[in-house]
Amino acid sequence: MIEVEQLSKTYGTTEAIRDVTFGVEPGEILGFLGPNGAGKTTTMRILAGYLPASSGTARVANYEVHTESMAVRQNIGYLPESPPLYPEMTVAGFLHFVGRIKGVSAGDRPQRVTSALERCGLADKRDVLIRKLSKGYRQRVGIAQAIVHDPPVIILDEPTVGLDPRQIIEVRHLIKSLAGQHTIILSTHILPEVSMTCDRVTIINRGRIVATDSPEDLRARLAGETTYEVEIQGDPRVAQQQLSTLANINRVEPMADQGATGPGRHRFLVTAPSTTDPGSAIASAVVQAGLGLFELKRDRVSLEDVFINLTAVDGVAATGETEDGAEAAVSSVDSFQAHAAAGNSAAVTDQGENAE
Amino acid sequence: MTINTVIANVIAIYRRELQTYFFSPLSYVVATIFWLIGGFFLVVALLSPAGLIAQVAAADQSGFPANVDVAYEFLKGYLGLLGSLSMFILPMLSMGLYADERKLGTLELLATSPITNWAVALGKFLAVLTFYTSLLLPIMLCEAIALSASDPPIQPLVLFLGHLGLVLLAGGILSLGMFISSLTESTVLAAIMTFGLVLLLWVVDLVGQALQGGLGEAVAHLSLLRHYTEFTQGILDLSSLTLFVSYIVLGLFLTAQSIEALRFQRS
Repeated sequence: MIEVEQLSKTYGTTEAIRDVTFGVEPGEILGFLGPNGAGKTTTMRILAGYLPASSGTARVANYEVHTESMAVRQNIGYLPESPPLYPEMTVAGFLHFVGRIKGVSAGDRPQRVTSALERCGLADKRDVLIRKLSKGYRQRVGIAQAIVHDPPVIILDEPTVGLDPRQIIEVRHLIKSLAGQHTIILSTHILPEVSMTCDRVTIINRGRIVATDSPEDLRARLAGETTYEVEIQGDPRVAQQQLSTLANINRVEPMADQGATGPGRHRFLVTAPSTTDPGSAIASAVVQAGLGLFELKRDRVSLEDVFINLTAVDGVAATGETEDGAEAAVSSVDSFQAHAAAGNSAAVTDQGENAE
Repeated sequence: MTINTVIANVIAIYRRELQTYFFSPLSYVVATIFWLIGGFFLVVALLSPAGLIAQVAAADQSGFPANVDVAYEFLKGYLGLLGSLSMFILPMLSMGLYADERKLGTLELLATSPITNWAVALGKFLAVLTFYTSLLLPIMLCEAIALSASDPPIQPLVLFLGHLGLVLLAGGILSLGMFISSLTESTVLAAIMTFGLVLLLWVVDLVGQALQGGLGEAVAHLSLLRHYTEFTQGILDLSSLTLFVSYIVLGLFLTAQSIEALRFQRS
């Protein structure tokens, strides 16, 4: 449905993207993941026909985005980085307008507008002026305008930015519900987003594609180990010794006790090969040693780690492993981590607070 | 893309744009100023001690009746005033046409919808021209009341031509103003630059009058104001009409091109 080959775009002397190649199958959700300034928006804009590429080809719904721009525009719904809204229009009025310029026939329009309003949870905001809506609702109107004409391909540039955690979850459900009938490509810098909504992930860094795979495979590719956080009450030396003697355990490290939830409690980080699943063994070992078990949590290797591995390696390699390059890579990863952490805490995840 | 879709698109843009004008407080401020000053001019031109009626009456009393058709003289003079007043109003009407879209990011929506730049520009132009024409309606009502007293009655065609000239003059300036608006994200900058253009048109007119010979003739021929004056005198010259339409088409063309170019240079 979307085929991108060797796409490059330069602004003056700055290279925004370089040799970007990927594809999206019909009905699939592709996540376009990368730190800020990696070239996500540029790629999205080229796909939407808003910007011409410097070189390479992109085909959307079997039309070339530049030479057959009108046909492409007919077949896409596009949510730009900032939702394109007219503040003085009502929600329904705006969607009617978008329906009109997207070529929805007059007979279908009321029904399409109503269905877009319902899908995006905007039914009760129908006659509200857009300028009176909160940021989260505006973002939803932005998504509604991208789906109002029922396009086969939907391009969403950071659809959950600026939403509160509950709205983020709602939007993710909405995006998931659109898959199947629609082909969706969405960009984000928030990691849990892709692992939760997308069938496949393309990671882009500094304008280049670093990896394309399903979230599970990406994880598996880089996941050497699984870690468990354990909190016990009792003698920490006994606990450490008990846990270390278990089979399939690589190492047991005490964690800072500040994280413990009560006096006399201690936390350990237990690391095991990812092929094994020693959770129940850990629990029974603790109990058999006569210690109190207060917490046992498995931290899956997150896409965050995968991402940091991929982009850091690429950053260093691209600049010939100079100190500067390494520094730049680290700093870009740092800023990324900050976002990822924000995304983590904003979402309901099974990863907990391992960042701390 | 069939002609029907293009027309549907133009209408869609037209309706949305017109709605913006009627919902924006700015348009009401502009309308108020226009009506206040326009109405003031109307009263002054007719009834003040230096007004047309007083002048003619004085001439009559002095024993040398002025050989003027008061109705036509009034129409010509008043339309001239309205034309000048419009010069100040028009930049404020055209300034937001594209600058606002650029600022809001809605240009990205239009540029990724199956609609041509031409259709967008035409829809917007027709909307702003409609709004300007609607500003003229109450003033025309006042004129009609004043002119209904004229004996012999004024020819409706002269009245029509004069106002058609005013709308065409406004069209030329709005069209170029729309192009200027497409160059910037700042409405203030667009208004100032459009006002500069209006002043330039004035200068062209003055230069055309001052220069002798072929060059002066050529410059004068490009002057919108001179052709407008002809309209207010009830003269329908095909070349004037062509000139106005050319200005409008030029503005539309430049707008469409500038939006196309914007997509290529954006960084």
